[in-house]
Amino acid sequence: MPSASDTVSTTDRRSRGSVALKAVGLLVLAAAVLSFPSVAANPFILSVGVVIMSYAVLATSWNFVGGFTGYISLGHAAYSGLGGYATGLLVIHTGVNPWLGMLLAGLAVAVLAVPIGIASLRVRGASFVIVSIALVLILLLVFQSWGSFTGGSNGLRVPRPFGPEVLRPEQHERFFYLHAALLAVALLTWWLIDRSRFGMGLKAIREDEDKAQALGVPTFTYKLIAFVVSAFFTALGGGLYALWFGFLDPIFQFSILVGSYMVLMSLLGGIRSLFGPFLGAVIVGYAVEYFKNQYGDTQFHLVAMGLLLGLVVLFMPDGIIPAATNLVDRFRPQKTSIREVTQAELAEQRRTAGPEAAQADQQARTDDGTDIPTSDSTVTEGARS
Amino acid sequence: MSLLLQSLVLGVLLGGLYALLAAGLTLYFGVMRVVMIAHSAFLILAAYLAWWFTSETGLDPLLSLVLTVPLFFAMGVLMQRVLISRLRPATLTMMSVLLTFSIALVIEGMLGFAFSGTQRRIRLDYGGANFEVFGANVAVVKLIAFALAVVSLAALFLLMKKTQFGQALRATIQHPEAARLIGINTERVAGYGFGLGLATAAIGGTALALDSTFYPSLHWHWIGPLMAIIVVGGLGSIPGAAIAAMVLGMGQALLQIPLGTTWAQTFFYIALFATLMVRPQGFFGGRLAQRF
Amino acid sequence: MTATADAAPAQQTASLATVGLTKRFGGVTAVDGASVTFHHGKVNALIGPNGSGKTTFFNCVTGMIKPDEGTVSYRGADITGKAPHRIARAGVGRSFQLCRVFPRMTVMENMLVAVRSTSLRRQLASARDAEELDRARGLLARVGIEHLEHSLARDISYGQQKLLELAGVLMADPETIMLDEPAGGVNPALIDRIANLVRSLNAEGKTFIVVEHNMELVMGLSDHVVVFDRGRPICEGTPTVVQSDPRVLEAYLGI
Repeated sequence: MPSASDTVSTTDRRSRGSVALKAVGLLVLAAAVLSFPSVAANPFILSVGVVIMSYAVLATSWNFVGGFTGYISLGHAAYSGLGGYATGLLVIHTGVNPWLGMLLAGLAVAVLAVPIGIASLRVRGASFVIVSIALVLILLLVFQSWGSFTGGSNGLRVPRPFGPEVLRPEQHERFFYLHAALLAVALLTWWLIDRSRFGMGLKAIREDEDKAQALGVPTFTYKLIAFVVSAFFTALGGGLYALWFGFLDPIFQFSILVGSYMVLMSLLGGIRSLFGPFLGAVIVGYAVEYFKNQYGDTQFHLVAMGLLLGLVVLFMPDGIIPAATNLVDRFRPQKTSIREVTQAELAEQRRTAGPEAAQADQQARTDDGTDIPTSDSTVTEGARS
Repeated sequence: MSLLLQSLVLGVLLGGLYALLAAGLTLYFGVMRVVMIAHSAFLILAAYLAWWFTSETGLDPLLSLVLTVPLFFAMGVLMQRVLISRLRPATLTMMSVLLTFSIALVIEGMLGFAFSGTQRRIRLDYGGANFEVFGANVAVVKLIAFALAVVSLAALFLLMKKTQFGQALRATIQHPEAARLIGINTERVAGYGFGLGLATAAIGGTALALDSTFYPSLHWHWIGPLMAIIVVGGLGSIPGAAIAAMVLGMGQALLQIPLGTTWAQTFFYIALFATLMVRPQGFFGGRLAQRF
Repeated sequence: MTATADAAPAQQTASLATVGLTKRFGGVTAVDGASVTFHHGKVNALIGPNGSGKTTFFNCVTGMIKPDEGTVSYRGADITGKAPHRIARAGVGRSFQLCRVFPRMTVMENMLVAVRSTSLRRQLASARDAEELDRARGLLARVGIEHLEHSLARDISYGQQKLLELAGVLMADPETIMLDEPAGGVNPALIDRIANLVRSLNAEGKTFIVVEHNMELVMGLSDHVVVFDRGRPICEGTPTVVQSDPRVLEAYLGI
């Protein structure tokens, strides 16, 4: 994995050198992804690659709402499942070109996401999570029961977009590239939002929604847009998967577990980083496929998933990429210069203000109740490095 | 007519159980602003423990309450102290959802591992007994489950209204900062609030085990309706949750006549969406819900 | 409710004004029929003992809380119950009690949050255009923390966060700035710095409404003081008038 660049906090201080480094990293990453089908040992490995790319698309799409706004959706499987079913049903019933069908399905899900977003985003936090889970449960119910239209519990067979002359390994290869292309579009969109004013507003919502609103950010509209974009890409991911896999079963499409994969992947990689969900998808996706292959679909699968998610939430809520970036930064010279200024400023402030002011300052921090590090820790950290 | 009456009676009986469980869910949210996804997983765990207790000892499953209620209370306190309180306040609501979700997955997986995925049911001597009220057939076990729920809810109500601890609990729910200012140890109260919440899951699980079959992944069928109930009732309001539980439980039972059981379940979700559209703070909720 | 005859001249000088504003929490009436007018172009202060409803009043006025009764107007236009971002874009910026910044964003990113226009093209453009960065750097320099541009907001001191918050509010270019306890929890040197900033910004035409405990600061800074007690104004006027009013002494020392 190349250094994968936390664009959020480093854009400002990056020099020409680090831009070049990022460009090289991006090229290496692209080359690694594109050459995977030719180095994959057999069709099975290649199909695992497709699954992982599909997870990467879903996790990156999830991160439009999770990463930018901090609203955690546990039910994003609803949108991938709807995208898959809508694509399949469109192809079956209207005979539309499958790729066009996939796009239409994505748009339809995006339209559907508007009222859902309005219902769940008007109030803060908890309601959003509750709606996200409820949505998956209700869709599972509907798609299982409405057999005449969705195929019910028997599942739905989706016609393949490539003719029978395209053999299985080549199917995998084509779909691998298609997924990679969709991933690239999603990443590009995420990056564009990340650097925009809109993105700045979204990140402010994640940090402190009241404060953002007081600065003029139309928080509800922003959240809704991010949510709809997220649903759109998730649906495209679901549609593409449906065309590849060729079969949809409501139990797997509208599964709480699939939704939680997206969360775990993004969280593990780092929700504030462009490539965080991708990295998480590679790790978790590989692990999931490996365990399924080795031990089958056992209950341990659930336990492992639960434990891993719990551990990440408790001990690494910022994910791998920020943790790694911090580690790198600790050994990087230019970062300490910032620290030294802070330290000098603090020292000066203390000299002029005297001990009681410093104490009052301290008092104010503790009263605040937030986890702002005390000035002492800042100073000692600066001194250490 | 008797079918309607039958459904109404069933709705009331089911609503009672919903009310107790929703009260627990409300307690967690009230004291800690935590949406406790694992609540229904603990419910199923309690059902399994009751089943296991009966199959090991041959005693009545109701007696398992003597063990499970204190056990679950302790687990709740421990969970709040060891896990939930570690989370940063700024992201507590979101991260606690994930944490309790992961607990739910672990419980489901462990249950499947220990007892396999097959459906379980407790065989009781009085399992088939029923009697007739105004032409409606009422199974004795359902009535016992209902009575258990009502007695527990009443006990919870008295605890909240009459005891000093209850006052501290209510103060913590309504205004944690103010509660701290008047000397309430809100951290400890939150722990006990969690314990109480989990105790409702123990009682609910035993009541559930009396008359239904259960399997490890059943908890997903419970958490959805329960969450809908607490939103409709207004997050953080126990009476609101209880009323919403009765109303929605009866609604579900009545809709089963024309729609069948599966489609009737969607009633909860429709009520959830409608509430959020029309009155996002819920119908009985106070100040709490507005900000969450 | 409003007096029609005197309304016209009053409105020319009125900044934010409330009529009969009321907010209850359960059984407690935090703001009780408060009618207050703040003056445009002046430094207004809102003082009062703890729990007199100042912050609730403040939150009602800025749209964070919906009042139960009464109206809020800004420069003559009704803004009662409007969303906070609409009030912000009407030209009213605010700081928060105990200071709130975006902890895991850099100081510069904190500056770039403020929204002045929601035109689609502007929102989708890069947040770091040269003009905006220059403006941000200028304001950071003005409050004296330009050297911290790249630090995360959570890593700078509390006093610096207060300055950052003020600079961030200024980025939206508000006409009126409401400060909730600007001197709370900061050292005397910094209080002076903040006071000087308020004075110079006021000289440039910004209206201020300051909620404050620090009497010395209020009396030295403001043109117009409103004293709150039990959710409503009990007295208002110049600092000298207010200081000598017996009702104020009673409210502060009475109970």
